[in-house]
Amino acid sequence: MNFRVLRNARVRRDIKTRETVAATELIRQAYRYITRNEQLPQKIRQQAQLMLNSFPRYARPTAIKNRCVETGRGRGIFRDSRLCRYQFRLKALNGDIPGVKKADDLEYVE
Amino acid sequence: MATTPPAKSVLNALAKLRAKLFNNVYNPTNVRTGNKVLRQRLIGPTVTSWYPKQLIKVREITDMFPEFNLVNQQEKQRLEDIAKRKRRGKGAPKKGSIEKENVLQLARRKNNIPILKSILRIHL
Repeated sequence: MNFRVLRNARVRRDIKTRETVAATELIRQAYRYITRNEQLPQKIRQQAQLMLNSFPRYARPTAIKNRCVETGRGRGIFRDSRLCRYQFRLKALNGDIPGVKKADDLEYVE
Repeated sequence: MATTPPAKSVLNALAKLRAKLFNNVYNPTNVRTGNKVLRQRLIGPTVTSWYPKQLIKVREITDMFPEFNLVNQQEKQRLEDIAKRKRRGKGAPKKGSIEKENVLQLARRKNNIPILKSILRIHL
């Protein structure tokens, strides 16, 4: 169990955002379809836009931020390992990330 | 040998037929239909699986076995701390009191006596 991640307020906020996005996604897409459809009457499209604006702010998918799973850092994240660059380095050197090896260009000459 | 281009009506008919054959939407005037939105994949499942899930919470365990009287030590400590702070008069302020205080401070800082007076008249 990783309690360290949950202690970070920004991570907790991000988890909340992700959950809200997932919960409201379907209905939001329906409203988005109505607003983007030029064949529908103007009034209905406007109403749909107003409904979109009335969603909680955490319902926007753009509010999601990929954060480091280990430290909660928001910058320099490798998407594959979900780690920030320093944690990635530490884990890679420790051999925790399979398939990652430190580059070594020097050749051994006898 | 010069060839004449096919008539526009023929091309339109062809496009209509092609759309029907390949199960596409026939939209000669390029009206925005919003189908783009319908075609989008739902991101919910991928988005929620970014952070590793906490498998079980302390609260769940304590609720599961009420007969053992299990105590979440951290939570107990937190509540005790809050109670202690409150006894010393350092508890959280009442709702709305911060806002009032901020407005008052702003007026004082700017030394704006008319505003200060009006605020005091409103609030007190």
